[in-house]
Amino acid sequence: MEAFRVSGASPAVGDGAIATNISAAADLTAADTRGAWARPRLRVRYPFTRRTPLLIRVAYDPRSLATRRTIVDKRPLYWVAGLILLAIVPLLGSNALLSSSTVFAMYAAINIVWILVVGTAGIWSLATLAIVGVGAYGSAYLSITYGLPWWGMIAIGPVFGLICGIIIAIPAIRLEGWYYALLTVGLAELCRVYAVQSQALGSSEGGLYGAATFIPNGVSQRTGLVISFFAAFVLMLAALALYRVVNGQRLGRLLRAAPEKQEAFAEALGVNYRAARIRVFLISSAALGLIGGFYATYFTGASPSLFSMDNMMLLLAMITIGGIGTTGGAVVGTLIVVLLDQVFVELGPLRLIIVAAIMLASVLFTRGGLFGVATQFSTWRSRRKSERRAQRSERGGEVMPDEATEIRDKQTIYVRRFDETVRKHLRPLVTDEVIAEHKRNPSGPHSDTLERLLNYFRRAAITDKYGILAVKSFAEYRVIALSGRRGVPPRVVDDKVYATPDEAQHAVFLRRVQDLMQS
Amino acid sequence: MQIDPYYVIVTAAMLASIYGLLAIGISIIWSSLGLINMAHGLIFALAGYGAWAAAQYLSAYGPVVLVAGIIAGALVGMLIGVLAFLPLYDKPNYVLRSLIATLAISLLGQQFMLTAFGPRSRPLPPVFGRASFHFGTAVVSAGQLGAIVTSWLVLALIAAWARHSRRGLEIRAMMRNPEGAALVGIGLRSTAMAVMAVTGGLAGLAAVLLSQTYFVSPFSGLTPLLKGMIVALAGGLGSIPGAIIAAVLVGLIEALTAVSIGGQFVLITQFLFIIIVLLIRPRGIAGIIETVRE
Repeated sequence: MEAFRVSGASPAVGDGAIATNISAAADLTAADTRGAWARPRLRVRYPFTRRTPLLIRVAYDPRSLATRRTIVDKRPLYWVAGLILLAIVPLLGSNALLSSSTVFAMYAAINIVWILVVGTAGIWSLATLAIVGVGAYGSAYLSITYGLPWWGMIAIGPVFGLICGIIIAIPAIRLEGWYYALLTVGLAELCRVYAVQSQALGSSEGGLYGAATFIPNGVSQRTGLVISFFAAFVLMLAALALYRVVNGQRLGRLLRAAPEKQEAFAEALGVNYRAARIRVFLISSAALGLIGGFYATYFTGASPSLFSMDNMMLLLAMITIGGIGTTGGAVVGTLIVVLLDQVFVELGPLRLIIVAAIMLASVLFTRGGLFGVATQFSTWRSRRKSERRAQRSERGGEVMPDEATEIRDKQTIYVRRFDETVRKHLRPLVTDEVIAEHKRNPSGPHSDTLERLLNYFRRAAITDKYGILAVKSFAEYRVIALSGRRGVPPRVVDDKVYATPDEAQHAVFLRRVQDLMQS
Repeated sequence: MQIDPYYVIVTAAMLASIYGLLAIGISIIWSSLGLINMAHGLIFALAGYGAWAAAQYLSAYGPVVLVAGIIAGALVGMLIGVLAFLPLYDKPNYVLRSLIATLAISLLGQQFMLTAFGPRSRPLPPVFGRASFHFGTAVVSAGQLGAIVTSWLVLALIAAWARHSRRGLEIRAMMRNPEGAALVGIGLRSTAMAVMAVTGGLAGLAAVLLSQTYFVSPFSGLTPLLKGMIVALAGGLGSIPGAIIAAVLVGLIEALTAVSIGGQFVLITQFLFIIIVLLIRPRGIAGIIETVRE
């Protein structure tokens, strides 16, 4: 083990084989992972693609020449950890927690699919819950009237969703932005009024109930809840997979090539962004219909509240709190809102106030919801850093570490540091006695202290160095400052005239002392 | 079924005037501030409560109630401007963020009203007395007649103010081109607050007028918001003449629907109307009349 450490610390290049041999002999659980890195590894790829689950950057450390592997994008790890946590925690809690986790997973699935419509396709549809409702009502109706089993309900859901999606997609061809958003609000309201009025959809009982359920007969309540939670969890995973496939593959790329206000450019390149948008919309409508079918089997029916504006607002709160356009934001926002809404039931109407306050705060203070906070903070920090840097380099003096990275010639850094140290030592030497001594006897001999000061002054850079100009010999002297550039004459510093060279020399000395004390 | 044309005309005129007040507010806010005010319904409801409180504790005299409603509406409108416009108008992604902010404010306000005033609806005292007049075969109550006259009077006043006053000129400049207005020295913040106060006052007036027939309750703002949106959208966001034409059409449709097939189908026919209008003219009726803000 000792030998292994030594070989690891030595700056040997290409010792992979040695390291492998040693690590084969030594204990593999050792903290030094370098041996493990050097072994040939099996690279895991997603099937039929060249993508790897983790993006790892390999670089040599310039000092020790050891290989360093860093995970460029840690998000997959966070996702896996978060999802495992989400799958385990509800099992440890009460029945109420389990059923609200089921609701959470279902809403998260809806939101992820909605993100696909809003973020990827850029269609501001607020009829998301309406499509879910149509799927739920349709499958529940078929189940009650024709005895459709639960898997049939989930299978028929996408058909309803697709039909509804086609109807809603027609105006999307002509309308843009807010006009379309408000139109979809209207469509949802239409559905609600129809569901409330229609006899066939159970207007008298306040909903359509009695559909088939996927929980087998005769299991305990707890088992039933666990089954439905995992079913909803799988639904959420499926929604994530759908997002990954649609957004990460061809359709998503086509749409990223045609962002808002650059559609004409994309069209000129041959991107048929309209067809891509509609296709994404239809795919997500079918998915929402499927979630609707699942909803109907879980609640064994559907109620008109699915179409209500309040529920849509709650859904909007979920995606805005997390940050519109990211799946992580959708899941976290759903988690926060469902937690507030379902778990803290005893708070009563205060829950909605808290949700609205969080929503308002996240919109007022963050650019992209909670998930954009990290980027927003780093942008802010780098701006502040550059502001401070700009102030520092104006002040001169010693170079600060983050300024040092931008100076090409490192010698100047050390020159400035040395200069600053010298000045720090010289400043205490300036006293009234020294100045009086110089006034008495400007051209020497000087005391040791004065000589030190004068030596420093003499060494100053030629740019802006002070000199004495004899306007009229033995009668009129003035203080000047050299330009430091060939051909550019020195400038007169002030309009004072001195009668003797000694007086002028002392004036220059005083100026230099002043500069030293001020620096 | 026999449809009484006079009754339809009176109802349509009454509804058109109230929807017009709301829709013009929504339209002006959108075109001058670039803000889709989803909290317009909240202004409506809170102004109703303001008028109710004035009638309860101050005086039930008609003009007092009317003015209290208008002032309450203006105050709530300015509050929304302070919360949703001032912190956000120069920030990235303004339109979406301000829309969500107004939604959140309206959610907050609704819950606030629910806890402060309770779910019970409150009646307002009759502002215009209890007399009734005969108009053809229809009977017009003083409330309806007063609503129609007052709203058109106020709209005319607002139009004159917008045309002849300095502030009105600033608002019109901001509606045309906000950046240009800012460049020539018009203060966006102060003008925006003026816009919010005026439109809030209009919504407050609509609240008092509509509460002559309906009641004041925490959720009474939702339907007026939806209908105001329908009218503003069908008229073309940002256009006042378009909003007035659409208000008349929507009011007519509502009156006709209520008379012929039943009151519960009103929203359905209205949405069908807006869908047809928008499919034919994606920028609303006003696309014919003037260009609207992008």
